[in-house]
Amino acid sequence: MTPVRKVIRVAAAPLFLVLAVVGQLVVINRAPLPGGGAPDLVLLVVTALAVTSGPMAGTLAGFAGGLALDIAPPGGHLAGEYALIFCLVGYACGRIMTAVEETTGERPAATALTVMAVGAAVGEAGKAALGRMVSDPSVTGQAIRHVLPGAVVYDVLLCAFVLWLVSAAVRRPAPERAPRPEFAQAYGVAAAFRLASAGAAPRLRLAGSTPPPVRPPARAEPKLRLSGVRSPALSRTHAASSLAQPALPGGRAVKLNFAGSGRGNPLDGASALPPGRSPGRGWLRGSRTAAAVAAPRRTSPGRGWLRAQPPRPAAATAPRRTSPGRGWLRAQPPRPAAVAAPRRTSPPKGWLRADRLMAASAPPRTSPGKGWLRPARTASAASSWRPKSPSRGWLRPARPAPAPRRASPRRGWLRPARPPKGNWYTRGPSGRWLRRGRRPWRSPRLLLSQLVGGRR
Amino acid sequence: MRDARRTRPILIILLLVAVALITLDFRDGGSSPAHTLGADVFGPVERVAGDVASPFIGFFHAVGSNDSAEIAALQRQNDQLRAELAQSQVSKADEAQLGKLLRLSGKDGYRVVTASVIAAGGDYADTVTINAGTRDGIAPNETVLNGDGLVGTVTAATATTATVQLATDAAATVGVRTADTGQIGALTGTGQTMAGSDDLQLRLFSSTAVLRPGEELVTFGSVGGRPYVPGVPVGQVLTVTSQPGSLTQTALVKPFADFTGLGVVGVVISR
Repeated sequence: MTPVRKVIRVAAAPLFLVLAVVGQLVVINRAPLPGGGAPDLVLLVVTALAVTSGPMAGTLAGFAGGLALDIAPPGGHLAGEYALIFCLVGYACGRIMTAVEETTGERPAATALTVMAVGAAVGEAGKAALGRMVSDPSVTGQAIRHVLPGAVVYDVLLCAFVLWLVSAAVRRPAPERAPRPEFAQAYGVAAAFRLASAGAAPRLRLAGSTPPPVRPPARAEPKLRLSGVRSPALSRTHAASSLAQPALPGGRAVKLNFAGSGRGNPLDGASALPPGRSPGRGWLRGSRTAAAVAAPRRTSPGRGWLRAQPPRPAAATAPRRTSPGRGWLRAQPPRPAAVAAPRRTSPPKGWLRADRLMAASAPPRTSPGKGWLRPARTASAASSWRPKSPSRGWLRPARPAPAPRRASPRRGWLRPARPPKGNWYTRGPSGRWLRRGRRPWRSPRLLLSQLVGGRR
Repeated sequence: MRDARRTRPILIILLLVAVALITLDFRDGGSSPAHTLGADVFGPVERVAGDVASPFIGFFHAVGSNDSAEIAALQRQNDQLRAELAQSQVSKADEAQLGKLLRLSGKDGYRVVTASVIAAGGDYADTVTINAGTRDGIAPNETVLNGDGLVGTVTAATATTATVQLATDAAATVGVRTADTGQIGALTGTGQTMAGSDDLQLRLFSSTAVLRPGEELVTFGSVGGRPYVPGVPVGQVLTVTSQPGSLTQTALVKPFADFTGLGVVGVVISR
């Protein structure tokens, strides 16, 4: 910031106030404006300063500007009236704007304009109300009805201009921002995928809504069972897959390839899995392989109905085939086998997975409630590639705070269809949020954070 | 958040100061030292700014009066002639009586200081600032008029500026009488009550007096010529209303002076 700029910033607020007071008295009040009222330049400058510079500047500017307007020669009302009103309005505008910035992390111009307009309207009404309270003979109900609407309309019309002037003078340098991620191409691909699957939304269900009826299995269930089948989603999957593919003789579990076409649907029996049935694993991820969309992979027919995946060397694909249950519509870069391999031993996640395949070696499910629609993620394996995932970053709000919330299905928006019953020994949902602090309802901010999700 | 926390005590202090100022000014009837200070500080600034802005304001008014500007000018001339007529009638009929009563003798008793309006008051008050003050001999409670008729009275004066309360202000009351019949009454401003018009409200004192539309009103005058000197034309009766509950007649009066486009005014200084 150059010294000249600094001087302008420091001197801008008093200069604007003096100019507004003089202009108001000398020009605005004398100009023959149509309608009853006239704009209040001082009030507009005060609200603009509050919106751009915060509550402290708004309070001081409001008091100074209001007092100047009170005691400058033509006067006409008691000294201190406008100082009181403008002081309050300046503080309120600055406070609201600060709160908005703290919540969303940015200060959009539209919000600033709205706050400013509302503040100006409230200020005009406050002037009239205080005039009535001190029994000013000029401020009668009739006069207010005549003056107030015009004044408010003029103020709202002039808001944008005054805000532009003031913010151009007192603007702080813009905070450093992270460079835009290079997802422009992938973004287009993802949009195309989303368009393609527009009619086939995955079966998302709000927590609390009743799940669709689950048809009982028509045939004998396979012998091999999951060790931790407690979730209805999983049992449904189990039943559905037993409908679709009979167990091989010898009790061997079928190697399920979920994105494939031969998959059963719990709702319509043996019919093919509609394209919308998305396994929870990144079915709409468009990442680095944007160029390879047009090349559906035919070498592994069991996977990926519409997968955007480039043909890869066999060494890379081989481990992938043993880890089914990952996106039917995946556009994911080929990863080295070393990264993909540990995923096989990860506890079962996702909706339609070949759980039976891993049942023997998989660790017991300690968290039965892992959602069928969860972004499957293992802590160790996922950490290396997670930042590349487009689900974080460019399609999300700037603040990444809610991300960890999704790891726990109990508190999320998209919960498993029926939350697992917790008993005394497992982790039950009972009273958990109460344990997060003493009297959380006493602090609105804490309560809000608990209602929305975890504490940040 | 930290800013808000630091601001709160300052806000409370400033609010208390404002309430104290209001209380003091209320006690002094709107003429506390704060106003004097403000006039001293802002008066010179307004003088300069008013001189700079006057041509633009004049241009505004010229633009505001559109193609019917000629009609307005003729109307103003007509008003002026009518006011002169009323003045002559008054002076003819009551010159001796007025001179004896108020120890004034027509226009010889007055000295008029001209000044121009440099600023105007806020939303609800009808006040203006003129660029002449005690240095020019202006003191509070002196009559302000222009070529058309009565404008108002001086309420406060500093060295270089003075504040004028217009006759249209809701707090202003002028004693008037009809030029022909001599019925007396009180004229009150209506403030910002009515859109686009600066009509005044007349209430006669006598219950038997008959008021007719078209009658002209002149100031009745105050003792010592303060705040109103006698014989200044004020306006013309527009409509007469006799309300059922009231003893006396009330009327709407259209003033001769154009209060929205005040330019050069004269302040009557009594010797």
